[in-house]
Amino acid sequence: MRALLALFACASLAAAAAPATTAPLEQQFQQTVRPFLAKHCLSCHSGASPAAQFDLKAYTNLAHVTKDYPRWALVMERLEAKDMPPKPMTQPPAESSHQVVTWIQALRSAEIKRSAGDPGLVSARRLSNAEYNYTIRDLTGQDMQVTREFPVDPANPAGFDNSGESLTMSPALLNKYLQAAREVANHMVLTPTKLDFAPYPMLVETDREKFAVQRIIQFYSSQPTQYADYFAAAWRFEHRANLRQPTATLATLASLAAEAKLSPKYLQMVYQALKTPETLGPMAKLQQMWQSATAEELVAKTAEMQAFVSRIRLRTSRQFAAPVVKGLPPGSQPLVNWKLKEYAAHRRESDPAALQNESDPPRVAPTIPRYPGLHQEGAPRWAALMAKARVDDMDLVVPTAQRQAYEAAFSRFARVFPDVFYVTERGRYFPDDSQDKGRLLSAGYHSVVGFWRDDTPLMELILDEKAKKELDRLWNEFDYMAQATERTWTQFWFNQAGAVDGKGAEAAAERPVGIAITDPPAIMGMRDKFLLKAAADPKNDPLAPTAINHHFARIDSILRGLEKQRQDAQPLHLQSLVQLASRAYRRPLAKPESDDLLGYYRELRTAKELSHDDAVRETVVSVLMAPDFLYRLDLQDSGLTSSRPAKAAARVAGRPLSSLDLASRLSYFLWSSNPDDELLKRAAAGDLQRPEVLLAQTRRMLKDPRVRGMATEFTGNWLTFRNFEKSNSVDRARFPTFNNELREAMFQEPIRLIEDALQNNRSVLDLIYGNSTFVNPSLAKHYGMPEVKSWTRVDDANRYGRGGLLPMAVFLTLNSPGLRTSPVKRGNWVVQRVLGEIVPPPPPVVPELPHDEATSELPVRDMLAKHRENALCSACHAKIDSFGLAFEGYGPVGNARTKDLAGRVVDTLVNYPGGSTGTAVAGLQNFIREHREKEYLTNFSRKMLAYALNRSLQLSDEITVEQMVAQAPAKGYRIQSFVEAIVTSPQFLNRRLAEKQPVSQLQPLQPTKVQSTKAKL
Amino acid sequence: MKKLSFPLSRRAVLRGAGCSMALPWLESLHALADTPPPSAFPKRFGVVFLGNGIHEDHWSAEGEGAAMKLSKTLAPLEPVKEKLNVIDGLFVKALTGQGIHPGQTGSLLSGAKIAKGAVIHSGISVDQMIANHIGQDTPQSSIVLACDQPMTGYHETNFSMAYSSHISWQSPDSPVPVEVYPSLAWDNLFDNRGSLLNISVLDRVKSRAQDLTRRISATDKSKLDEFLTSVREVEKRVETMRKSKGNADDAAKGKNTVAFTMDRPANGLPEDLRDHARLMCDIIAIAFQTDKTRVASLIISRDLSAMYYPFLEVKDGHHAASHNNNSDGYERIARFHVEQYAYLASKLNSMKEGTGTVLDNSCLMFLSNLWIGRKHDNFRLPLLLTGGLGGTLQTGRVLNYLKDGVENRKMCSLYLSLLDRFGVKAEEFGDSRTRLERI
Repeated sequence: MRALLALFACASLAAAAAPATTAPLEQQFQQTVRPFLAKHCLSCHSGASPAAQFDLKAYTNLAHVTKDYPRWALVMERLEAKDMPPKPMTQPPAESSHQVVTWIQALRSAEIKRSAGDPGLVSARRLSNAEYNYTIRDLTGQDMQVTREFPVDPANPAGFDNSGESLTMSPALLNKYLQAAREVANHMVLTPTKLDFAPYPMLVETDREKFAVQRIIQFYSSQPTQYADYFAAAWRFEHRANLRQPTATLATLASLAAEAKLSPKYLQMVYQALKTPETLGPMAKLQQMWQSATAEELVAKTAEMQAFVSRIRLRTSRQFAAPVVKGLPPGSQPLVNWKLKEYAAHRRESDPAALQNESDPPRVAPTIPRYPGLHQEGAPRWAALMAKARVDDMDLVVPTAQRQAYEAAFSRFARVFPDVFYVTERGRYFPDDSQDKGRLLSAGYHSVVGFWRDDTPLMELILDEKAKKELDRLWNEFDYMAQATERTWTQFWFNQAGAVDGKGAEAAAERPVGIAITDPPAIMGMRDKFLLKAAADPKNDPLAPTAINHHFARIDSILRGLEKQRQDAQPLHLQSLVQLASRAYRRPLAKPESDDLLGYYRELRTAKELSHDDAVRETVVSVLMAPDFLYRLDLQDSGLTSSRPAKAAARVAGRPLSSLDLASRLSYFLWSSNPDDELLKRAAAGDLQRPEVLLAQTRRMLKDPRVRGMATEFTGNWLTFRNFEKSNSVDRARFPTFNNELREAMFQEPIRLIEDALQNNRSVLDLIYGNSTFVNPSLAKHYGMPEVKSWTRVDDANRYGRGGLLPMAVFLTLNSPGLRTSPVKRGNWVVQRVLGEIVPPPPPVVPELPHDEATSELPVRDMLAKHRENALCSACHAKIDSFGLAFEGYGPVGNARTKDLAGRVVDTLVNYPGGSTGTAVAGLQNFIREHREKEYLTNFSRKMLAYALNRSLQLSDEITVEQMVAQAPAKGYRIQSFVEAIVTSPQFLNRRLAEKQPVSQLQPLQPTKVQSTKAKL
Repeated sequence: MKKLSFPLSRRAVLRGAGCSMALPWLESLHALADTPPPSAFPKRFGVVFLGNGIHEDHWSAEGEGAAMKLSKTLAPLEPVKEKLNVIDGLFVKALTGQGIHPGQTGSLLSGAKIAKGAVIHSGISVDQMIANHIGQDTPQSSIVLACDQPMTGYHETNFSMAYSSHISWQSPDSPVPVEVYPSLAWDNLFDNRGSLLNISVLDRVKSRAQDLTRRISATDKSKLDEFLTSVREVEKRVETMRKSKGNADDAAKGKNTVAFTMDRPANGLPEDLRDHARLMCDIIAIAFQTDKTRVASLIISRDLSAMYYPFLEVKDGHHAASHNNNSDGYERIARFHVEQYAYLASKLNSMKEGTGTVLDNSCLMFLSNLWIGRKHDNFRLPLLLTGGLGGTLQTGRVLNYLKDGVENRKMCSLYLSLLDRFGVKAEEFGDSRTRLERI
């Protein structure tokens, strides 16, 4: 920390060698500058409508000029270039111009010295809409985009929408925040251990159910349960010597297996089974297949083996039916659940009845009964289907004398190979699910909601201890979140329990009086009715009472368990709430603060009588409405750093940010989002200010996917395409290839390129001269590139006239007024946005160009040439047009072209200011490389610094900008060197002491006006 | 007594929370004026649903106004028949030909195509469309009630039973959860919970901002002041809205000749369906009268209902009884539902509002998902509309569209006509782009 400060001190000292007195400057202004202006400038630049909306008469003293320095920088530039006064006017003597130029330069250095080390005023700022969205995404894990209907954030003069200067608050906006906070809180779901958030609102039970079910399905489908993969891995182990992997083990093979990582313990089991000699039965046959496999046909062979196992195991799987009780439908839950339980418990067993003795007559396929009607037993039809499948399966025919040995062999086989590992769908007549598709995890009940877990083989054979716990957790949380058991029980009561009273299969039981349906007496009372029913007829299945007892005990125990779990979970939820607040506030909560937060929760529970869930949700709303969350505030008293002013550098008129504030500044710079746990941990440890820690964190964060936040927000605002996603300026009838998909791809292209540059630390020069870009299928087609499957980096994009930022379709389209190109807009974009030159706005009355290129008499190029014949216009257009004409090889939607819309061959030969020439984009790139590279680097540095600091730049920042540019060649122009220079700059690390004089704001001329009027050109 | 933990009330609270806080309630202030223009009263929309169809022999009407003759099932409507429209022949095409029951119910009020299997997908329903439009001026944008427990399993047609249990849909993916507990429905309406919660959040936010003010620089304070001012401003609006509503409520109570008051219903589920249905109707009536909400839907029995009716001397559950088309029991069940509907209409009709009644400013719809139970026929639907909707809906009529051709007898055309009257702009709705003729 101290070292870093010393470093800054040196930097500042160099600049602030001697405090300049401003008296002579003031004097010169009055005696030399003002008379010059009066003589040569004010005839145009004053009055009611001054030229370029620039009134020079308004500056009456030095302070005024200083405050508006950027415009004066422009005066200097224009005078130096002898652009002003324009040629037809009387030209001032060179010496007088020079005096003014020298004065402006002197003013600049004086001001830089005076304000050296001033970190600038960064006021409290609310999160921008984009930052709010990213922050919510990182707080909740869900990208909800809740600000989609917020008013657009205004940008500051630097063009960025992340500064306190421009981000204001209003009652209307506050109302929107309240709405957004509730929307976010509606996504909240309480698990037994914490607060979680779902991708959609969790207020409706069917949505909670969907969320919980999807998580389990996802878990199942990501498990390695393909037999073929295990056979192949076992084979590779067996032949490891021949495969030149003599040291391979089953464990390494399991983790190396091509597609999925296999379960080591199951691979071991399969390998053992394949190696343990069997002489008869399915395993013997499988072993033969395995042994005969060769490297060339391994895939086909193992697939064949898998098909064999699946077939045998399906046909030897065991079958179960619901116990029969007279007067109850077989689908009655207490009965049918027994069947489901039995299925789940016997998946690693072989049905001896599947085997047929050689001596028996051949099997005859039975007639398949109709698909059962409602409330009929489905087992007979399934039995018939199975019997039919077994007919002619010679693998099931066994020598009569060896039947016993075969049965044992089939049993051993089934122990290793379950008929299925888990069940994801279940219909009414499970396992005959031909009619009911897509009932995920369903128990198959008629009309009543219900779920059933059937994954014993997966648990026993595939999963390790950790995964088993995870799956148990998911099922438990399913019940906890979606109240699955409780809802099943209630729906059963109100829809089917009446069957036990003889009211028919679909009738409600009476509403209980004085107790809830979920209370034990209600559950046990219902059980007793079912037991009575089971005992009523001697022909009833003797298993029925067991099934009934088991069923009701299970429901009661689950409901009681959940009740307790809910009780136990409450303190955990409150902990989780405090953690959420801490991440939302981007700092640890002091004890009184967390007490206060929980106090609010308790007040909602007691005074407002809210349930636990609702009170937690309301508290989340209050957290998201707190100024601590909505605003980035640099607290005066936040601990974790010495809050004393930095003594080491007396001229640094600020004091170091606290580690926590620095962490936020860093994360909003690099991610447009809040600090993650790691960063907060470093901040809490208090060592984030140590240069090596700060730089290590910066590098880590640049590699993180969240850096796309910076790629989008920084680049999008810098290069003015941030709102292109929503832009609708293209005439789609004339450009039918332009659709939403292409628009989105265009929007993404520069973001991908910058993201790649940030993550891989590429040169910022490549952004201009490079041959690479990123395309997706839609964009590749638009560019005439070979097909790609998804977003792909293309390193020879120059072959297709692309590469780097300049020829990207998004900019070419953005700067075309519809049915023609606009070299003026395109040129202006290059000059202002890329090179950072300030171009004054055009005069109010300018000739309009025809809007449709196809029907214009002259090519755009020639029309502009005419326009430039007017010397007044030429002053600016000479600076702009040539840059835009370099892009004439691209049509209004950035499409490569050789002819314009009227069929005229386009000309891309360009004469640049200063006399050099170049052709097309390559020519432009060359021109920039030879004449304007420094301007580009300076502009890039300025923009990134302004973005990082959340404020417009001021003259005191010039030293940092100069340093960024100066160090670039030695650092290979790597983008990271720019980022690192910023995060270690005094401006970034400090904040201004409260009562400091406002310093001049480095406000570039407002480019907005230029854009609005130049649309006509 | 412990109540079943249905996570229902929550959403209702939130809808009521009305984050989009409107300016003070203007329309209702007219209740204070002596001769308010009729159009100044708020328009209300209510739906009462009966599952499993009706007994067709006893469902008909003929004649106009006071001369209208009502069949047996419709007889309970005798007292309000001049404010009644009996409509025959409308249907929802998307709900035909894809399987019975849930497949015939899931988008009754939206006309959308519904999805089978694991994914629930329908369309936003007309009542919620209206609620989204006019609900911001009331504490609750709508109330969605049921006397029958919702079901969410699978029907044999592989449609989710969620379609059978919900007629109001807030979004294509999510139905509005139904409130089955009268006590909770009451609390949500009269606790004014939504705005109380907003006030509580704003209050807290204010105190946090004040705390922070002590810990930040002078320049940051000005930013936070801007925030605080906004908080106070919003808070003031919520308070004003609450107060003006309170005043209006009091005034309305004193002004109406038949002051309708109601005690908070007891906790828990009423044991008897008759009590349950009455309580739900009372809640809707008082909510409309006091302008707590302007949109309500009530499922007395859902599609495939398993409720049974010992007090009507019907032995089977509702759905089973519906398969016996010609039974008197089936007719009695339908008539019971019409009685509840008539009770609600009469109640609204007893509440004076200006020169008319609350019913005159309402449109109460009664419908079922089927024509007759056993045939599962939904090419025509039993449909009643009561109330003049602020003079925009002619009543006392029997309208038959059965022979007008499929294009001219769409429920969605009726919905468009109603949306117009509620000032909701819609080019199309469900499967229709045209308004219903003659309505």
